[in-house]
Amino acid sequence: MSSIDLVIGPQHPALHEPERFLFKVEGETVIDVEPRIGYVHRGIEKALENRTFVQGVYLAERVCGICNVAHSLCYVQAMEDICEVELPERAKYLRVIAHELNRIHSHILLLGVAGELLGFMTLFMLMWRDREDVMDLIERLTGNRVNSAYNVVGGVRRDIDSKLAEDLRKVMDRLYERMVRYKKVFANDPTVRARTVGVGLLSRAKAVDLCAVGPTTRGSGVKADVRDYLPYAAYEDLDFKLVSYEEGDVWARLMVRVDETLEAIELIKRSLDKMPSGPICIKPPRVIPKGEGFSVVEAPRGDLNYHVYGKGASTPDRVKIRTPTYANIPAVCEMFKGGYIADIPATLVSIDPCFACTDRVAIINVETGERRSLTIEELTRRGK
Amino acid sequence: MNGDEVVKAVREVLGSSLLEGVTVKPNRVNMVVDKGAHRRAIEALKSKFGEVHLFSIVGADLKDRLELTYNLWLYEAKIHVMLKTSLPLDGLEIETITDLIPGSTLYEREVYEMLGVLFKGHPNLKRLFLPEDWPEGLWPLRKNAKLEEVA
Repeated sequence: MSSIDLVIGPQHPALHEPERFLFKVEGETVIDVEPRIGYVHRGIEKALENRTFVQGVYLAERVCGICNVAHSLCYVQAMEDICEVELPERAKYLRVIAHELNRIHSHILLLGVAGELLGFMTLFMLMWRDREDVMDLIERLTGNRVNSAYNVVGGVRRDIDSKLAEDLRKVMDRLYERMVRYKKVFANDPTVRARTVGVGLLSRAKAVDLCAVGPTTRGSGVKADVRDYLPYAAYEDLDFKLVSYEEGDVWARLMVRVDETLEAIELIKRSLDKMPSGPICIKPPRVIPKGEGFSVVEAPRGDLNYHVYGKGASTPDRVKIRTPTYANIPAVCEMFKGGYIADIPATLVSIDPCFACTDRVAIINVETGERRSLTIEELTRRGK
Repeated sequence: MNGDEVVKAVREVLGSSLLEGVTVKPNRVNMVVDKGAHRRAIEALKSKFGEVHLFSIVGADLKDRLELTYNLWLYEAKIHVMLKTSLPLDGLEIETITDLIPGSTLYEREVYEMLGVLFKGHPNLKRLFLPEDWPEGLWPLRKNAKLEEVA
């Protein structure tokens, strides 16, 4: 049988962000796929070269709204790596709390969306209701629901008072019970299992070869989590437990996220227990020395890394961002092969794709004859 | 396992092609290799330390040369290797590593598109992010890129 080309995207009901895939199909079976990315490419790496590292924090977290804490954390850690800043202890724990709250809302968001794409609308509604509680906590902790600007070079911006700590525990306990219930649904429900078990297979060897990251690789039995192998912030003291599943299918990748949400809740409670008192921020240097900084954090979708060249000025010379969905594109292309057309949405959602993250690198109109920076007004206008 | 052992293992294979090898942080090693020796370095790391994860390939225009950094993570040894090699700005060509680390295909395409480095032997060295009407030969992350007509 000869193959035909099937184009999905850039605009498609199964895709929540613009992206185009050219599938080669024989009958109902996908035999090859060519991704085309770049539709939401904004030139952030280039733009970061023209901003001071303080301004850069705010731009970096706009690479991705959903995992903004991971981006600002990774960016400031790279700066701290060059400047060799030692953080106050309390700030490390506060960073963990913000980072894990961010992970919980991101995972619940994805699990809800997975429910929707699998034809299980009730699950979507229930999970997104619970996600709102987490968003409220993020707002109380950081001052904003989404882009939080919580991490700064040298620490964090806001502290937790006893009332918020108490409410955090209360909500986390309630959420834990709910997640245990959802875990049963994901583990046993016939609708979920029928659409996910054995679908979108990625073998362990392929996951390693293709450098897949995060829940995508851990769903294929690779025990790799930055919080475990290269602990940052306060993870070393928090007795973090890595989650991995062996099956390598959509189901396993969703289950990794369910278990990680439970673990994130535990991590927040442990952080609240162990957090010492003291300052939350130190005064950062005004200039980034000449040299290189590198930082890698475990964002909700996998390892996120920033590589920064300092040039002895307040602006960096080069900032390279490697986001997790970008790393997972070769892996997801592998998952599609041999599967059915009908399984494409479920397979894609299982890597928790974030294309705004993927497309970020170069080009912005910073040079119009003369070199100048974009104003905040221009940036917001471009976003509309 | 510490960083010095990793440097030693690579030096045994590369000899004088390893220009520099320093442990800069407890978990991080900086290695600078001759142009063209990066493949042998990666092969050595793979054969001695097992599974290798590629964090990223970073290209940086340092005005007098272009520096490529392969950020590699050794799962077993728990060491981050910053493998660096420099290319002259008038000869931006280097051998691909897509056969050694298949996960590098998109990263090499990105470096090609943004900085104009030709990866010899890459199976599909096409542009990745930029629009279809982007001018040929305009490498946006080069320091001398003239971007006014496209912005």
